[in-house]
Amino acid sequence: MKEGLCYARPRKLGEALEFLHGHGDETTVVAGGTDVMIAFRSGKLDSKYILDISRLSELKGIEIHGDELWVGAGVTLSDIYVSETLARFAPALQRAAFTFGSKQIRNTATIGGNVGNASPSADTVPPLIVHEARAVLGSVGGERSVPIEALSSGPYKNTVRSGELITRFVLKPAEGLYSNFQKIARRKALAISRVSLAVIAGKDDTGKISFIRIALGSSTPTPRRIDEVEDFFMGKTPTESLIWEAGRMVATKMIEISGRRASTVYKEKAVQGLFMRILYPMVQ
Amino acid sequence: MKIYQNLIPTQFTINGKSVEVEVASGETALYTIRERLALKGTKEGCGIGECGACTIVVDGKAVNACLMPAPQLNGRDVLTVEGLEDSGEISPIQEAFLGNHAVQCGFCTPGLMMSTQALLKENTNPNHDEIVEAVSGNLCRCTGYEQIVSAVENAAERVSKRKVK
Repeated sequence: MKEGLCYARPRKLGEALEFLHGHGDETTVVAGGTDVMIAFRSGKLDSKYILDISRLSELKGIEIHGDELWVGAGVTLSDIYVSETLARFAPALQRAAFTFGSKQIRNTATIGGNVGNASPSADTVPPLIVHEARAVLGSVGGERSVPIEALSSGPYKNTVRSGELITRFVLKPAEGLYSNFQKIARRKALAISRVSLAVIAGKDDTGKISFIRIALGSSTPTPRRIDEVEDFFMGKTPTESLIWEAGRMVATKMIEISGRRASTVYKEKAVQGLFMRILYPMVQ
Repeated sequence: MKIYQNLIPTQFTINGKSVEVEVASGETALYTIRERLALKGTKEGCGIGECGACTIVVDGKAVNACLMPAPQLNGRDVLTVEGLEDSGEISPIQEAFLGNHAVQCGFCTPGLMMSTQALLKENTNPNHDEIVEAVSGNLCRCTGYEQIVSAVENAAERVSKRKVK
């Protein structure tokens, strides 16, 4: 615990943004606390202020707005777990909640915090990427939105500017398409992902892939979309050998980005295997 | 909006009693409960949300007290292991843990019982998978979990006979 640390608890989003306008550089924003409190404990945070946004109703809510799906930054992983809207329009995001932390963590941890913390292993990020999500950043000057992949510039580095707050995520809904998230971790519960994948895919009447989005997590400095492999799949009929070959491409891409590391011996095969597992349902 | 420079007055209900304490910013709910309120039943295991020994029930939901900023307790209804008993009589959950030998060293037990409490509030008749999922955030290094799962199953039966608090 740091001496002289100040605490502010806004009741309205406007109050929070005004506070960040004045003190953004010296402030740590806290919602669920599941990352921030650990950082405090280890002495890694040196802020003057804590801004507690956990009760801002403006940051809650999962809803369809026209042809967009809005997920508030203050939505907890438990909210995501039980959301019928997400079960219908973004099952990949919901599946990320199924294996996220533990019940206790999910009850308080928020999607905004998971994204803002910018861990390469953040489980909600690959699903947001395949939904081509944009993060909406609020400030006293108004709103701007950035593609989710641009919100992280490296491990634990976000591009949120001083005075800004992530307020919501805007996703492209994927009703009626195959949408999934899977991860490999050391245990089933309470484990950081070593490799994670999110996909949305659909076939046309002739059984050829007509739509596909693939995102890889925990394997590169920031989770990322693998466009090359999406292009490779388009217009092809998915077979076991095709998926195996594409999985090989994903692994190669990972090594190209992250370099060969001690973990590569394992991850190279794990990525390919997980890719096969997640896309296998696309084979008739 | 008030900016608190030092201690933050925090009012909440714990085990049915209303309390008002001053907490520091950056303090955990676990510290408040153990040190300021001297309720030592809630344990600190890892301190980083991985073991579940500090599990408490806040507004009906299981949370890790070690990760909860203390000022967030304000206005909440909190239940700790001390609040399970009813007028000196142990609760069905406690009876089930005793009866099924789900306790060895006992350090994880309060947290496990609070996860059980939250589960049974939500789902009075959980199946095996639902039980395993509900307690997967609570580590036990003694029992091997078999007895714990049996205890939770048994607790559900006992609770349906005797209304849980």
